[in-house]
Amino acid sequence: MAGSGENKTAMMRLSKFKYLAPRSVNDAAKMLADAGPTASVVAGGTDLYPNMKRRHQTPKTLIGLRRVEGMRGVSGTPEGGLRIGPMTTLTALERNATVKAAHPGLWKAVHSISTPILRNMGTLGGNICLDTRCNYYDQNYEWRRAINFCMKCDGDTCWVAPGSKVCLAVSSSDTAPLLCAIGARLHLVSATGEREIAAHELYRRDGIHFLSKRPDELLTEIVLPATNGWRSTYRKLRRREAFDFPVLGVGAWASFDGPVVKEARIFLGAVSPAPVEAAEAAKSLVGTRLEPDAVARASDLAYGPAKPVDNTDFLTRWRKEMTKVYVKGALEDLRGS
Amino acid sequence: MIAPSVGLPLPRTDGFDKVTGRAAYVDDLRVPGCLHGATIRSTIPHGRLRRIRRDPAFDWSGFTFVTAADIPGQNVIALITDDQPALVDGIIRHAEEPVCLLAHRDRERLLAGLRAVTLECDPLPAALTIREGLARKAKIYGRDNIFKEIRIRKGEVRTAFRGAHRIVEGTFRTGLQEQLYIETNGMIAIPERGGRMSVLGSLQCPYYVHKALKRLLGVGDDRVRVVQTTTGGGFGGKEEYPSMLAAHCALLARKAGKPVKIVYDRLEDLAATTKRHPSVVRHRTAVSREGRLLGMDIDVLMDGGAYLTLSPVVLSRGAIHAAGPYRCENLAIRARAVATNTPPNGAFRGFGAPQTIFAVEMQLNRIARALRIDPVELRRRNVLRPGDSTATGQVLDAGASGPLVLEEAVRRSGWSVRRASFTKRAPPDPERASKAPRKGTASGRIRRGLGLSLFYHGAGFTGIGEVYLDSHASLAVTRDGSVEIHTASTEIGQGMRTTFAQIVGDELGLPPSMVRLAPQDTSLVPNSGPTVASRTCMIVGKILANAAADLRDALVQWAGDSPRRAPGRRATRGPWNPQQFRRLASAWVRKTGPKVFTRKYDRPPGMKWDEKEYRGDAYGAFGWGVNVAEVEVDAETFEIRVPRVDVVLEIGTVVNPLLAQGQAEGGTLQGVGYALTEEVVRKNGRMANAQLTNYIIPTTADTPEFRTTLLSNAYRHGPFGAKGMGELPLDGPGPAIAAAIENALGVSIVELPITPERLAKAIRARPAHE
Ligand SMILES: Cc1cc2nc3c(=O)[nH]c(=O)nc-3n(C[C@H](O)[C@H](O)[C@H](O)COP(=O)(O)OP(=O)(O)OC[C@H]3O[C@@H](n4cnc5c(N)ncnc54)[C@H](O)[C@@H]3O)c2cc1C
Ligand code: SF4
Repeated sequence: MAGSGENKTAMMRLSKFKYLAPRSVNDAAKMLADAGPTASVVAGGTDLYPNMKRRHQTPKTLIGLRRVEGMRGVSGTPEGGLRIGPMTTLTALERNATVKAAHPGLWKAVHSISTPILRNMGTLGGNICLDTRCNYYDQNYEWRRAINFCMKCDGDTCWVAPGSKVCLAVSSSDTAPLLCAIGARLHLVSATGEREIAAHELYRRDGIHFLSKRPDELLTEIVLPATNGWRSTYRKLRRREAFDFPVLGVGAWASFDGPVVKEARIFLGAVSPAPVEAAEAAKSLVGTRLEPDAVARASDLAYGPAKPVDNTDFLTRWRKEMTKVYVKGALEDLRGS
Repeated sequence: MIAPSVGLPLPRTDGFDKVTGRAAYVDDLRVPGCLHGATIRSTIPHGRLRRIRRDPAFDWSGFTFVTAADIPGQNVIALITDDQPALVDGIIRHAEEPVCLLAHRDRERLLAGLRAVTLECDPLPAALTIREGLARKAKIYGRDNIFKEIRIRKGEVRTAFRGAHRIVEGTFRTGLQEQLYIETNGMIAIPERGGRMSVLGSLQCPYYVHKALKRLLGVGDDRVRVVQTTTGGGFGGKEEYPSMLAAHCALLARKAGKPVKIVYDRLEDLAATTKRHPSVVRHRTAVSREGRLLGMDIDVLMDGGAYLTLSPVVLSRGAIHAAGPYRCENLAIRARAVATNTPPNGAFRGFGAPQTIFAVEMQLNRIARALRIDPVELRRRNVLRPGDSTATGQVLDAGASGPLVLEEAVRRSGWSVRRASFTKRAPPDPERASKAPRKGTASGRIRRGLGLSLFYHGAGFTGIGEVYLDSHASLAVTRDGSVEIHTASTEIGQGMRTTFAQIVGDELGLPPSMVRLAPQDTSLVPNSGPTVASRTCMIVGKILANAAADLRDALVQWAGDSPRRAPGRRATRGPWNPQQFRRLASAWVRKTGPKVFTRKYDRPPGMKWDEKEYRGDAYGAFGWGVNVAEVEVDAETFEIRVPRVDVVLEIGTVVNPLLAQGQAEGGTLQGVGYALTEEVVRKNGRMANAQLTNYIIPTTADTPEFRTTLLSNAYRHGPFGAKGMGELPLDGPGPAIAAAIENALGVSIVELPITPERLAKAIRARPAHE
């Protein structure tokens, strides 16, 4: 039997690229359209640059959004619906008193991302468009080459689920499940037009084509729903108090009529290529006061849709079991006990 | 007259340059004409290398390519045994084994070149675990895959078991751990005109590299020069591995006729370099009704990886510490280091002791539960006291500080009150009662627990190791009248630059700022032995103190003076103030020529060691310690937090309390990672989590509050009474945290790291402990 394999390493370096720095959304959209599929936009670069070093993506042209006017900052009022520019850094959001007071769920999600240093560079837009992750993918080129690559990049087998037609790399954004749960809307602009979609419509259950956004579309604004008697929260499972990507995220939202739940939404992050809605669990809460029984029932129901596969830190079974505990915790947050 | 500096919390002399970015690490050095080198490694754990294929269509101009055939001397990394090649020659014995090397001026080209090389191999069955190694699933080393077997015997074990009130058994496991120095391994080799090969890099032991390169290149002493550059941490990880990297750089540089630099990225460093040995330790203990240890039968297995490297000595220290700091007149310890098809494991702070101390401490807790004796009380009854003898029969003198650290820790940590309050559980929470993980332990969701560990750690090389090392160290007086330390001991963040200057300064009656350190360059400084084994301050520091005394006496004599000894002043201090010394010393050198005072290691009188029987005085001195760890465990998710650890260490005279505290806290935190999160995941013998995002070390946010107490019981043969302390702090956190979790949840912990998944499994699988 013959086998072959080698593993060669030298310091990981960025691939070569051309850098463009547009000043306006229109210019950026045009540059993106002109440069075609080998172009990519870059915001804080905390996800894209490491990926380029590992040769997951090797864009020939990078369009930096740092100088684009009107893409940064928080405007509007909570009651009217806050509007957030995608280039707003995570640190800026964390420090924004209005966001913290009116959207504690979003604030918690943002605050839980990586480390203060990365939050200084990382943006909300980048977090929303974050690449999916997998233990077989988040490796350098040589490591991946030694296993003959995988379907998501350069290869054709999925090592997590060899029979699978789709890649199961997980959505690892902390804000995604929360934005889906609260019903945030996203504004997309391209050289040919613009549109607005619900946050959950952005994501697809395919680890390779995980965004429904076209490559030539820019995310230009995140619109939060008006605050009027609803609450939201976010819970995150990880090993450490800092640094770690979520291996489970729970975004939960409920609107109330007095103490009674009128409507609820729960989205699970980091268990699938897209944030997963635990619709039955949420429905079971309607009409309850989030009393312990109702919470327990909903947590049990949320266990079903969570189908993690073995491609992140922690054992799969563990992550699935923790769904119950974490959903319960999130619902207790909403009850405000 | 200046005040003594030993005992003062002086800041590290190298600290400022490091935090301001001024210190030059190996990758910061600009060497004209330097090529970048890279290593082509195996991806299979065992196999026959058939061919190295270089793509003929690729443009190979400007490349240097090295295989085993290019080695001028012997294809070995000389250390203890000559089993490890510098480059694979025929048989691949572990994944990530270096097969061939490439160098090029341009890093992009280098990457392209790497991709144009293919290894053709015939895989062989691989033994990836201790069990598979023992079962000889693959033939790796000798006839039985045993690198080394050690037996320690004392008294009559069989008789002791016959007369026992109870016999308690337990098997305990620990995993791999990465040293995780901040600066990855890096080296530059520079071929010099006269044929000498100079190697500069991040390393702990210049003379280890020196020895390895001489054999590899087949040249004499003066044809190899090794220089340490500013080193960003070692923890044992730069004890033996730098010889491998230096060999690779030197081979490329020799063939290219140009300097070659290799700096590993984190992935390569994690995947390919040495780790702490995994262990399986089985205990059988015969105890009396009162909990006296009548007999101990201990079996230690360690996974050495594919080559011997330092495994015999790691095993030796593990075996000697396996019975813990306890009195037991009848014991049998059998320890074996087993070969497996995995990257060689090697030196790591603690050097075998953290593994066996974890096991013996957990075994003691088990005994305490079986006999319903408080764990502190059980330790009180068995801890070694002056006059008692250790497992190897070493009789301890007044330096046996076990009782001292134990009582001090119990008092300072508020052990009794806190333990009682954690053990008395809160009334069950009705809302969660139905979901509590186990009946009978139901209470609030966050369970708190307190655990304690008692440990000791021998400083310096084991047995007659220090005699074999025959370390030399010198002091030179310069023309400007200052004093220069010449040792091969390296600063790796532990603070030896500062402590050496304090020791020598005090011996001479000078401020430490007047004492300089010569570069760690084998062409300039004598071999003061490796910077390992908690030996630098205690052993090399003492040699320097002796050299300083010689210097002082000679200078005093030359000056026609005799040391004036004012009452109450340290007897050894000189009769001069710094200005006088400078003038005097400068005149001395100018008038009578260069002055160098060299001393070598003096074995403390009366020390005896029988290497064959493993009996006698294993170490000149032991450091002693107790950790009291508090944990909070979420009873639903089993997530574990460690809010507070009380650290009580007895380390002899504390030369520099600031540095000692740094060592204590850093070592304890490294132990927290070992206990809870650090786990190497391997797939077919290759590390699958070789990144800092998934090899999980504690961050600042996970750091407990440390309450550190340093006690001193001066060691007669250490400089000013100091003992070694570098490794000691890592021995205690694993068992203390595990004990605290046992206390919080009422389970039995038998394995590190204690991840939430493992804990959940333990709770579901096993009945609550006795
Ligand atoms: C060590 C480490 C830990 C991390 N931990 C976490 C964590 O815990 N949780 C978490 O969620 N993330 C984590 N991250 C990922 C990342 O840092 C954050 O998600 C960050 O918010 C990404 O933002 P960015 O601006 O840096 O994105 P970039 O890297 O600039 O971009 C990411 C992707 O989004 C696209 N993009 C960015 N902006 C736009 C836009 N306006 N329109 C269209 N496409 C756009 C880019 O083309 C790119 O594909 C971690 C990263 C590291 C390195
Ligand atoms: S899920 Fe499968 S295809 Fe997707 S990244 Fe992981 S291994 Fe590759």
